[in-house]
This record gives sequence, structure tokens and C-alpha cells, in this order.
Amino acid sequence: MLLVGVGIGLGVPWVIWLDIQVRDEFEGRVWDVPSRVYARPLSLYSGKPLSKNSLLLELKASGYRKVPQASSPGTYAVSGNSFDINRRAFMFEDGSEPANRFRLQLSGNMIKTLSAVSGSENTGLVRLDPAEIASIYPLHDEDRTLVSLKDVPELLVTGLQAVEDRQFKHHHGVAFRSIARAFVANIKARKAVQGGSTLTQQLVKNYFLSSERTLARKVNEAIMAVLLELHYDKVQILEAYVNEVFLGQQGKHAIHGFGRASEFYFDRPLQDLEPQEIALLIGMVRGASLYNPRRNPQRARQRRDQVLDIFGITDLLTEDEVKKARSRPLGVTATPRSGGSRYPAFVDLVRRQLRRDYQASDLSSEGLKIFTTLAPSEQEYAQRAVSSGLEDLKQRGLPADLQGALVLADVASGEVRALVGDRVAGRTGFNRALDARRQVGSVIKPLVYLLALEHVDDYTLVTRVNDEPISLRQADGNLWSPENYDHKSHGEIPLMDALVHSYNQATVQVGLNVGVANLIRKVGQLGVSAEIPAVPASLLGAVELTPIEVTQIYQSLAAGGYSVPLRSVTAVLTPQGELLSRYPLRFMPLENREAVALLNFALTRVVEEGTAKALHGLLGNDTLIAGKTGTTNEKRDSWFVGYTRDRVAVSWVGLDDNRPASVTGSNAAMRVWAGLFRNLPFEAVDLRMPDGANFVWVDLQQQALTHPSCEDAVQIPFVEGSEPRHSTNCLQDQDSKNRKSLWRKLFGRKD
Amino acid sequence: MDAKTKLLGLLIPLLLLACSAQQPAPIKDKEIDSRVRVPASEESAGVQVYSLQNPAVKELTAQAEVAERAGELDQASGYLERALRIEPKDPQLLQHMAEIKLQKEDYQQALNFAVKSYEIGPRVGEICSRNWRTISVARENLNDTSGAKDAEKRASRCMNTRPKKL
Repeated sequence: MLLVGVGIGLGVPWVIWLDIQVRDEFEGRVWDVPSRVYARPLSLYSGKPLSKNSLLLELKASGYRKVPQASSPGTYAVSGNSFDINRRAFMFEDGSEPANRFRLQLSGNMIKTLSAVSGSENTGLVRLDPAEIASIYPLHDEDRTLVSLKDVPELLVTGLQAVEDRQFKHHHGVAFRSIARAFVANIKARKAVQGGSTLTQQLVKNYFLSSERTLARKVNEAIMAVLLELHYDKVQILEAYVNEVFLGQQGKHAIHGFGRASEFYFDRPLQDLEPQEIALLIGMVRGASLYNPRRNPQRARQRRDQVLDIFGITDLLTEDEVKKARSRPLGVTATPRSGGSRYPAFVDLVRRQLRRDYQASDLSSEGLKIFTTLAPSEQEYAQRAVSSGLEDLKQRGLPADLQGALVLADVASGEVRALVGDRVAGRTGFNRALDARRQVGSVIKPLVYLLALEHVDDYTLVTRVNDEPISLRQADGNLWSPENYDHKSHGEIPLMDALVHSYNQATVQVGLNVGVANLIRKVGQLGVSAEIPAVPASLLGAVELTPIEVTQIYQSLAAGGYSVPLRSVTAVLTPQGELLSRYPLRFMPLENREAVALLNFALTRVVEEGTAKALHGLLGNDTLIAGKTGTTNEKRDSWFVGYTRDRVAVSWVGLDDNRPASVTGSNAAMRVWAGLFRNLPFEAVDLRMPDGANFVWVDLQQQALTHPSCEDAVQIPFVEGSEPRHSTNCLQDQDSKNRKSLWRKLFGRKD
Repeated sequence: MDAKTKLLGLLIPLLLLACSAQQPAPIKDKEIDSRVRVPASEESAGVQVYSLQNPAVKELTAQAEVAERAGELDQASGYLERALRIEPKDPQLLQHMAEIKLQKEDYQQALNFAVKSYEIGPRVGEICSRNWRTISVARENLNDTSGAKDAEKRASRCMNTRPKKL
């Protein structure tokens, strides 16, 4: 009696608790509508730089169809450089706009005119509705392609039951007969060969994914299965199962559901699958990793054929059909397709920034609209630059398995326009742009010189520094004697030249003066929190950073010291169009922006005459660009950072296992960078000096002020008050001439 | 906690709420005109530096002005942000944004936008005066009294210094 009492006393609340758990999962997950992720809307206005190719890419990404007459929204007609575009009605992040038909005329890679089709009114500005780039569940590391049961092939529905749970239609969540049969079979075989779990039990198990196989767990699962069957009908449960079942793993992303698995393994929608392909997926239910067709093709094929046989036995297929299906290859694609997104690396960034910046409770709402900063055409160019750039490097004798990453952002707003994390377009997994933590080499050096230039009394761009052999005792007692890339020392040289030619010995001399601790602090000030060892080798870039972190550092420099956190999301809207939150543009001015301006000037010299001077040739133009190359020990990493007035991009090339790769900043990453910028419109670096800094004519050798007409006169920016005190003889001569000519003017007398 | 403290705990927030509700419309609305726009415009008679704006930027600026007049400051800053994507280095846009931030009482960003507008702008004339007046009001609200006074002085110099040689 007491025992029964205790049993009920504990059992009833326990069952109620399990009921709450399982219903929460069922209701909370199955019917979730994913959030839609949009690219940035393309703004069109006369005078905008835009090539025909880019416009076509943008239209394609936004799902526009080319037709002879753009009479319905979502279509366009093109003849030569004239476009007739029928823009769809769309709810933008700042409000709805009705459909809008307009004409656009391109000329010389620029929009020449933009006009409304009806009436003659000139339209100043039109936005294209943005490309939908993904549907995601912001809070889960998983991608799903939901299917409703009526869209699932009949063979999958019946076959699944034939293989996994023939009693599905009749049982109440648990099939005691199956359990008994499995029990007997397992005893006979002396190991677990059969599972007696119903589809309902498997669904529960998927909800609370755990490989734990204890009796208590089994009992809980069975109770929850019965509870599920009490609350929901068979169709609902089967639909949930079809969308929930675990069918693979890609990096940290789980592959759930047959819809998604069909894309992942076959790159085709579920409705298009053939019997042997359906059989393969059903076979994988028993062990997605064990029967992984990419990793264990033989085992997967055996399992598939076994499933096909069951289809035959249960009359789902005729004997001939089984025979034919068995003869077919597995048919899986070589590389998995990412979860419904063409731009998985960028979407990865979106997901991370959403989780960092938004409340989980906001993100769990259904069907959000997420507006991002991606520019589809630029992303396309960036991916091509990496994919074909690395292919080209292979032709040039570099390793065939080189990998790369590329980040492109707007200088002033910090908006990320493109992000490439793999040489293969669309491949998910390791996102090198965000996660490849690699030594940066000389890419760090500009910060050393920035610190120097902040000490106005000690350093200017013309200050002489020593590029001489140097040996330092390290913490482990060994001597550290960095060499220059050309194994030479260059003696006393202007500070700017040390940076322009990336001399290691001079950089260490300067760096020891400004202090490694300050370098570490500077990286932090520029918005990057990374572990940097407090050793002199850090001055030469024995510092591991990811491509996106390097981009963050250089955004601040490129923007003249107006630091903005890089962002990929601009706004999140509820399905009703209410603004959940916006990421407004905010920036932080750094101190000593004059020093940043001086550094920017020096970095343009890197491209004009230094380690990156091949860049203009690669681009086929001579627009002023600032840049820095980076190479690490034994040529393991190749970096190039380059920026213009409006764009900043970072390119990395190397091998995933960090073997020596024969790459240098200029032979690999710079080529990839150029491959991107060849296709982009961009503006020359703006060298206007901020308040407190000015260009001055000087003679570098003499470290003296000079006259523009004098020999060796160059224009160099200085922080006010730090200009050379001396003048060249030539300047003194000029001055006296000028005085004389003034005398002449005033008194009109000849000498 | 005794009953009295509980009661106080309830009452104090209520009283604060009442106080805040009774406050007159924030003076900042007027401040933007009385302390930034009007004096800058009055002083600048004759010294005008206008940058050429492209039609898209012009359209967005006009929309921002409409939104601002209707008190829709978020919307106004949304338009300005779009315009800044097109012309990130337009001093007028940056200053307009600074003035919106000032009205939103986001003084740090008001200061930042005004500083940037000054640095890349003509550093003379009406916009220069608006730059420094905004900086002054922002600094004042950030409790930098002497900095605010300095900025006020700089504003008056906008009319008599020539832009620096580039």
C-alpha cells in the first residue's frame, strides 16, 4: 500500500513533468518558420558606378527573370545597356514600397540615367528588392529544409514505416511486440542487433539527443512516446519525424530531416529523388555516421540495398524495380551543399553576430526578417577571386591544396560586403575568414609604426631608423636574431622606407622603443581581443589573428581613425514588419588621428614603390591604393591587406595544416585581392590631412625642408610642429631669390 | 524589510515616474535650433560652402528632414544612414546626423559625427560653425565644461579663418 502510494506520489508528477518536456519540444520546434536572411538592397541612382555584369548578377541574385517585356513585377528586359526593370513590392527595413517599373541606362560602368517608365518624372533613387540569401534558425547550429508530409514522396513515407516501424499506424507510441521480437533477436545474437523503437520513440530520442542507453532513459522515452501519441495524431507525428530525424553532420551543423538531407547528399529537392536514393536516406536513419555515403560508401551501399530488398518484400517496389535500383550507384554529390544558402560563410557571420547582439528571446520568434550587408555581386566576385585565384596559383607551381579566405568591407560604415571562407563556393564547414587563426607576419608592422608616429617628438616619417643586425635574449635563453627578407641590412634609413620595404631589423628597433605592451594595447584599441604574446617576435607578426580580425584592425586605419565595429546585420524585423532592433551606425574616433593619416600615406607608398608594387600591374590601373603584404616563417601564410577610399579587403592564403606553402604576401594573397578588385569600382585613397597635419616639401636624405623645384624634393605629411627644422641650401637659395624678386616687384629696380 | 520600506520602495519609482511625466518637452528639441542652427546660419551670411550632392543623397536628405520635423528621429537617422552609404564623406550628412543624435540625447555619437564632419568638411563657414556648436552642446552634456567653452570659441572662429591649404 505504502509502496503504491509512494509510486503514485512520485510517478504522477514525474509523468506530468515528462509531458511538459515533450510537448514543449514538439510544439516549439516542429512548426517553427525559419527566419529569412536578406542581402543589402541595391541602391540605384544616376552617377552610381555599376557595371553591366554586376547589375546582371544582382538581378539574378534577387530572382529577376529576363523577359522581352518587363510587364510584371520581378522581371526585366535588357537591350544593350538599357534596362527596363519591374521592381517587386517589398517591405524594406524602413518601410514598404509598392512595385515600381523604371528604366536604367548604363554608360561606361556607371548609371547614366534613371527614369520612371510611366510619365517622364525623374526618379532620384530606386532600391532593388534584396536577394534572399538563406533561411535560418538563428539560435540553432543547424539548417533545415522543412517539408510537409503531402510533399514527401509516397515511397519515403511507406518505406520508412516498412523499415523502421511496421506497426506505426496501430500502436500507441510503444510497440511491445517489436520490443519482444528485438529482445529475442538480441539474445540470439548475443548483442544488440535490433532496436524495438517505434518512430514515435525515435522522434523523442531525437528531441533529447543523447547516446546514453540506460534503462531509465528508455523508460522515459517510452513514456514520452505514449504521451505524444495522446496529444497528436499520426500525421503530425510522422511529419515531425520526417523533419527532425538526424541524418548527418557537417562541421558543427547537424543535418536534420529528409528535406535537408536530400540537398546535403544529392543537391536536389526531396520530391525529385529516385527509389535507390530514398532507400539510402532511410537506411541512414539507423546510423547517419556509420552509413555516411561520402565517408563509408561501401557500407552505405550495402545498407541501401538491404533497404531496397525490404521495399521488395513489402511490395512497395516490384522485383524489377528493386533490381534496377540496386544496380544504380549511390549518386551522392562530391561536396555537400550548404543549408539552403549560396553564401554559407557570410551567413555564419550573420548567425554569430545575431547571437552576440540580440536577446535569445527575440531570436526565438518565428519568421523574422533579417537584413544584412551582403552585396551579392561583390560576394560572387570575391568567391571567384579565391576559387580561380588559387587554381591559378596551382598552375604557377604552388600547392594544389592551398586554401584561402577573403573579407571585403565598406571603409566608413564597417559593413561587410563579402566573405569567403573556402576555395569551394558554397561549401560549409571550416570558415577560414572567421576561424583560421594564423600568424599575420608583416601585416602587424603598420601598428608598430603607428605607435612610433604617435610620439610626435621622437618620430616622423623621415626620422632615421637603424636597419642593423640585432640579437635579443629570449625567455628560454636562446638568442633571437631576426633577418630581413633579402638577408641584408640597410643601415640608417628613413622610417617610412623601413615600412615601405618591410624591413624586419628596423621594425624591431622601432618596436622595442615603442614597447611590445603598447602594440598589444593598440590591437585591443582597434577592436580586436586576441591573445598576443608579450615577446619581441610579436613586433614582426608572430601573432595569430583571423582574417576578419585583421579586417577590423585595418578598417580603423582606412577610415582615418574612425573605428566602427564590422557588422553584417543592419536590422531585424518581425514577420509583421515591426522593427525588432536596428544596428545604427556608430563609430569611435581614435586619438592621434594625425598619426593614422601619416601611416595611410606611407601605406600608399608600399603599393607605389614597396613590397606591393606589382599590384598596379595586376589590376591594370594606377588608382592610389594603400596596402601591406605579410609573409610568415617558411612561407606558411600569405596575407594582403589593401584599402581604397571606400573599400577595405583582407586576403589570406595558406595550407590548413600549416605546412610550408611557398607563399608570400605578394605572390599569392595579393593576386587574389587583385582578382577581386579588378571587378569592383573603387576610389583612390583620400590623402587629405586632418586638422593638425600637413604636407611639406622635404629632402629625405638631408631630413630638411626644401623647395618643390629642388632636386630630391618630395611631399611628405607631418604632424604640425614636427617638420624638419633645417632647410636645404637649395631652399635657402630659392628664398633669397624670392625675396629679391619681391624687392624688384616693389621697387622696379634692376640689380 | 518592514512595511514602511516596502511602501517607500513602491512610492519612489512612482514619484519619479510622475516627475518625469510632468517635465516639459525636452529643451533639446529647441536647443538644436537655438544653439546650433540659428546662430550658425546668422553668423555665416556671406560665407557659404556647399558641397555638390548627388540626386539620391538629396532625395534622402529631404526625406530625413521631413521625418525630423515629424519627430521621427529614428526614421530620420535611417535615411541619413542610407545617404551616408552613398556618400560616406559628405560633411553635410555627417553634421545632419550629429544633430539628430543630439536631439536623441546620444551625446557621444553627436560629438563623434560632428568631429568627423568638421575634419573632412570645409572647416569654415556655416557648417563649421554648426560642427563646433554641436560639439559644444555635446561636451556640455558629457560634463566637459571647459571643452564645451573651447568649442564655442572655435565656432566663432569659423567665420574669420580661411580653410587650410591642402
